[in-house]
Amino acid sequence: MTEQLLSSARAALHAAPPVGDPAYRRYCGALAEHLTSSWPLVLKANEEDVAAARRRGLPPVLVERLRLTEDHLDGLLRLIDAVTAELGPATTPAPPVPIGDWGALRKVPKPLGVVFMVYEARPTVTVEGALIPVVAGNSVLLRGGKEMAATDEALATAVHGALVSAGLPAGLVTVIEDPDRSVFRALLRRPDAVDVLIPRGSPALIDFCRSAGSIPVIASGGGVNHLYVHGSADLARAAAIALDSKLAEPSACNTLELVLVDEHVADDFVAEVVRTGADVTLKLGGGLKAEPGGGVRIAELASHDLGREFLEPTIGVLPVPDVDAAVEHVRRYGSAHTEGVVSADDAAIERFTRGVDAAAVVVNGSLRLHDGPTLGLGSEISISTGRLHVRGPVTVSALLTHTWVVEARGALRAERGN
Amino acid sequence: MSVEAQDRVTVTRAVKTVVIAESRLSIDPDAVSGDEPLNGELLRVNSFGFVGMLVRLEDDLGVTLPDDLFVGRTFTTVDDLVSVVLDAVEAAR
Repeated sequence: MTEQLLSSARAALHAAPPVGDPAYRRYCGALAEHLTSSWPLVLKANEEDVAAARRRGLPPVLVERLRLTEDHLDGLLRLIDAVTAELGPATTPAPPVPIGDWGALRKVPKPLGVVFMVYEARPTVTVEGALIPVVAGNSVLLRGGKEMAATDEALATAVHGALVSAGLPAGLVTVIEDPDRSVFRALLRRPDAVDVLIPRGSPALIDFCRSAGSIPVIASGGGVNHLYVHGSADLARAAAIALDSKLAEPSACNTLELVLVDEHVADDFVAEVVRTGADVTLKLGGGLKAEPGGGVRIAELASHDLGREFLEPTIGVLPVPDVDAAVEHVRRYGSAHTEGVVSADDAAIERFTRGVDAAAVVVNGSLRLHDGPTLGLGSEISISTGRLHVRGPVTVSALLTHTWVVEARGALRAERGN
Repeated sequence: MSVEAQDRVTVTRAVKTVVIAESRLSIDPDAVSGDEPLNGELLRVNSFGFVGMLVRLEDDLGVTLPDDLFVGRTFTTVDDLVSVVLDAVEAAR
């Protein structure tokens, strides 16, 4: 089973046209058409999955996450449009660069290879996985949860129809139908045949993928994100930035968890947040006190709250003596995802941005700006906190590697005198 | 220590380790008591993480656990989870 999956994925990779071929643009258009025409069947299959999930006793929140609607189709069509527009800039080779007087160097984009994506109970990821890596010429193995088996089968039919219409090998996308975790484990043990692993899901799943094998992993490690508010900051703006960084999507990976605020302005900062009356819980540490107001609830920050994701509309506030203490805190508790600083002092901003190591540091703005489309970097399949190859939004261009093509025109190393 | 008691110690540690990871906490497993709520002030475990938790537990305990181990049950505390995993580990042997 595993061997067959891997060999057909590799064969499709080799049979696929080179990066930048018009077939990938055709595939985007065909995928939009096939998804649209088959959406009634996808929804019918999805109803089966949802009913089965209810019968099995899955919690309502998980059942809802499984459910697809017309809105999901609209979202996927917008994504396909965006990816189509990004395809040219992301995959066009750079012009040749002269090498001395004897040759030229070309950096030619190549797919990463066979990409294994594993994710939990979110059927739209099946389409994202069949789109973003594939338009970069990769062959993908998609392993969703068994809860979405019927939906995935219907989506796979649409995807394969689109691949064939576009003149691409159908084997470029394999939706793994066998839900047995032994297949998943067997694939993790094949660094010789799987080039990249992209997990999307719970911390336990991502940690497992990182530690269970030697396949390079592109993953977001979750966002334990901080906002440092310097004493020079406009505190009303800092409060607005903190709330915007949290409230729209409290469990997102780029959301805010803890505000580190210079201690001499900490009370005033808290007062500014309370003044907004926003629907949020402030967990106050370091002896800070405040009265609740409007929708703002006040609680105490516990030691185990440091370094955690609240996954709800809760923001911790901890006073710090200075920027160095803030940097020290982020180094100890941060997850290298998204950090921010609010300050009118260029020296403090520079000290924070140099001292903190994260995929993105936002200066005087919301942490939720760290998003591929919002930053103009392109559609993303995740936000990587890894240190190598890609950090931040994982866009089409991040799913490519390259070959250096050396146009040597008969040159010999011996003739170069070195 | 009997085999059963040894199993309970091993399973309890594995379960605590996995719920700590799932709750995005960096604390020692010994700091989590058996009657700690799975979804409370300290731990934040929800059903989204079941696949990841299963593979982590299988790896740590060296057993294959049923796919539906966590489905259709109500877990309130860490001990509830330990009991279910312990039963499954004993059944798998």
